[in-house]
Amino acid sequence: MKFGIAKLAGAAVVITGLATSAFAQEYPYRDITTAVVWGAGGGTDSINRMIMAEMEKHLPVSINVTNQTGGVAGSNGMVYVMNQPDDGYTLVGLSESNVTAAVQGGWDKKFDYWYPFIVGGSPDLISVPANSPYNSLQDLVDAAKAAPGTIPAAASGAGSIHHLNLLAIQNGAGAEFKFIPYKGSAPGQEAAIAGEVALVVTSLAEQAALIEGGMLKPLAMLTPDAVEIGGNAVPSAFSIYDGLDKYLPLKQAIGFAVHNSASDDVKAALGGAFEKAIASDIVAEWATANNYDVGGQYGVEAQALFATLESTFAYTLKELGATTVDPISLGIEKP
Amino acid sequence: MEFVFSQLSGFGEAFVALVVDPLTYVYLITSVFLGITFGALPGLTATLAVTILTGFFGNKIPLDYSLIALLGAYVGAIYGGSYPSILLNIPGTAASAATAMDGYPLARSGRGGEALGLTTTASFIGTLIGTVALLIFVWVLLLISKNIASPEKALLALFGILLSGTLMSEDLVIKGWIAGLIGLAMAMVGMDPLLSEPRYTFGWSYMLSGFQVVPVLMGAFAVPQIIEGLRHVEAAKMLKLQGRILPNMIAIRRHMPTITRSGVIGTGVGALPGVGEDVAGWVSYGVGKSVSKDGKNFGKGSIEGLLSSETANNACIGGALIPLLVLGIPGSPPAAALMGAFKINNVIPGPTIDPEIILRVVAIMVLASFTMFVLGLFTARVFIHILRIPQTVFLPVVMVLTTIGSFSVGGGINDLYLMLGVGFVAYFMTLLKYPIAPLVIGVILGGLFDETFRRSLLISDGDLSVFVSRPGAAILLTLNVTLILAQVPAVRRTFQALKQRVI
Repeated sequence: MKFGIAKLAGAAVVITGLATSAFAQEYPYRDITTAVVWGAGGGTDSINRMIMAEMEKHLPVSINVTNQTGGVAGSNGMVYVMNQPDDGYTLVGLSESNVTAAVQGGWDKKFDYWYPFIVGGSPDLISVPANSPYNSLQDLVDAAKAAPGTIPAAASGAGSIHHLNLLAIQNGAGAEFKFIPYKGSAPGQEAAIAGEVALVVTSLAEQAALIEGGMLKPLAMLTPDAVEIGGNAVPSAFSIYDGLDKYLPLKQAIGFAVHNSASDDVKAALGGAFEKAIASDIVAEWATANNYDVGGQYGVEAQALFATLESTFAYTLKELGATTVDPISLGIEKP
Repeated sequence: MEFVFSQLSGFGEAFVALVVDPLTYVYLITSVFLGITFGALPGLTATLAVTILTGFFGNKIPLDYSLIALLGAYVGAIYGGSYPSILLNIPGTAASAATAMDGYPLARSGRGGEALGLTTTASFIGTLIGTVALLIFVWVLLLISKNIASPEKALLALFGILLSGTLMSEDLVIKGWIAGLIGLAMAMVGMDPLLSEPRYTFGWSYMLSGFQVVPVLMGAFAVPQIIEGLRHVEAAKMLKLQGRILPNMIAIRRHMPTITRSGVIGTGVGALPGVGEDVAGWVSYGVGKSVSKDGKNFGKGSIEGLLSSETANNACIGGALIPLLVLGIPGSPPAAALMGAFKINNVIPGPTIDPEIILRVVAIMVLASFTMFVLGLFTARVFIHILRIPQTVFLPVVMVLTTIGSFSVGGGINDLYLMLGVGFVAYFMTLLKYPIAPLVIGVILGGLFDETFRRSLLISDGDLSVFVSRPGAAILLTLNVTLILAQVPAVRRTFQALKQRVI
């Protein structure tokens, strides 16, 4: 019996070896797994499920999407994927919020550990409750200038993309609000509706239903373009305050990544499928319906975007005293 | 009026969508069957059924379907508890404890079949009463809750923890509060929601995300239950089932006032935060005893007594979902497990919850109660056979399921250590007669309390008067203070003296 097993094992090794050598040039030959570092049903999760379903059509294999949540800024999922071989069969689904994992002590890699693909993101805007006395961004900023640090402003946790947008508009317009952190965008928006805070900064995707329902009054987009939503034209803050472009836009970047150490074949195969998927009507329709802007950057271009985000986030968090690791020690340059 | 119609049409759409989807039936029938089985087996509770299913289905299948499974199991388990209550004089779940008072004497006098048929119908009508209340009141509350800000939320969370501690405690009320405060302290672990600083993590990155809800639920509810069940194997003699089960419609009509009254009481008790089906059953039984004409026969085999508790505990489900969906405050321990399922799916119950989820929940509840009714009437004998499975066989199986469920949600071995640690502590707390439900409510509401209490003070620059100056907050503060003062012996004596003088 022992002999039989040994023989079988030997045969298996030979076959595996043959298979590897035969298919090594043709990535991918087995199914790919994407581990999303945020929870099922969230923005990053639904975007990954959508884009992976689209990319599958242009690859000979299928892609399974799972969730690996927890840790600091999604570090559990990133560590999990880091520990998998860099053969392109395990991808990580992530977003701009993950760039703080390193300075918050979640893991010890700079973000260029990844070779990212950016599907897109939803632009941030500043809104007030429907019954608010402020009807334009100028009203609000003038009120804040009259009484610095007293007008409560909601955004999700310190160091989140929405908090950074709030800080940017403060710097750009020269006003100071009283930052009240919330666990996520939804509670912050609820607080604005309840009148607990005077303004809220979240993304258009998150606010759209509330604006259309007449519960929030949009004041200004924090991106260069004006937007029309629910019959309201929302101006861009850029057209109100000059010099905002020094601080903005800071936009969400949701997508996925493969190990940067993966081979060029892997990167090329994924890049090809990604380009085709991004150009499809399904992605365009999905983006319009959900108020997202399609990105489509990948590779070096996306790495540059993430590097900017990483240094902005890292040094903002450092100023807030919310870092456990000095960005310099990780090699993150000051923006 | 227009609002009621729009509600009903919304419900109709959700109901049709559910009915035409063949997958619905797969999940529904399996989960209701599983729920009744869990309820019927002494030692397994409704909370456990919903908790284990949360572990298995929570993040593996779309929320729409996992809701069917969880609610189906919930409805089934609360009903299933009546089987051993009637036939063995052992309540299958705490929710059916009051059912045994009259159910067992009825079965002994040869009316077991009749009793089962009536409890099945009563559970069915009770669930529907609770569900209708859910459909109507959830919207009323949603309108009000738009004005609920941090001070009210903080006081409401505190009220939930205290109330659960007060009512779920077996002997001393303060034990319930202690359990609730332990839960509150556990909720402090992890990333501080306001300052983004780690708290009580001892440099261990796993603790940064705090105590995970599902392992805590599993540890707190399942582990002590299983150890306790294995230590005391209850071998009671099962009564033979006599008589036909299909209920007599004339009898049902005659008892309609009792059923309606108990349904309303059950829904009301369910809507109180953290107070579950067992309290609903007892309160309704107590009210029935003093109101019903048949009151003197309660405990000797009264149909009225049986219906009082069995309608109320099922009506409690709909009631318990109201604060869960509107405020994120679970109305009962199984609802706490449902909250866990919402959390792992990133659905935040509250004023901005997707209205479609609410309509779907209502549609599922209606369909689940029908399924329970049909299964109860036509497969009752199957469940009676299940009752014969010895505890020593099924409890270890449940322990394995619990472990797998706990592991599979987060996918980390640390979750298992957490589950066992919490389970160990919870077991000794059970031995000391500390209630476990307030601890879990504390873990779930503690984070909300901590965050909203401190945020209120952040906005008011540390001025405590925010908890008095807002009318809603003032009322809630009064409720909290009354709840605490009512337990102080001196105050209680004064009140009794006053009462006597007035009378």
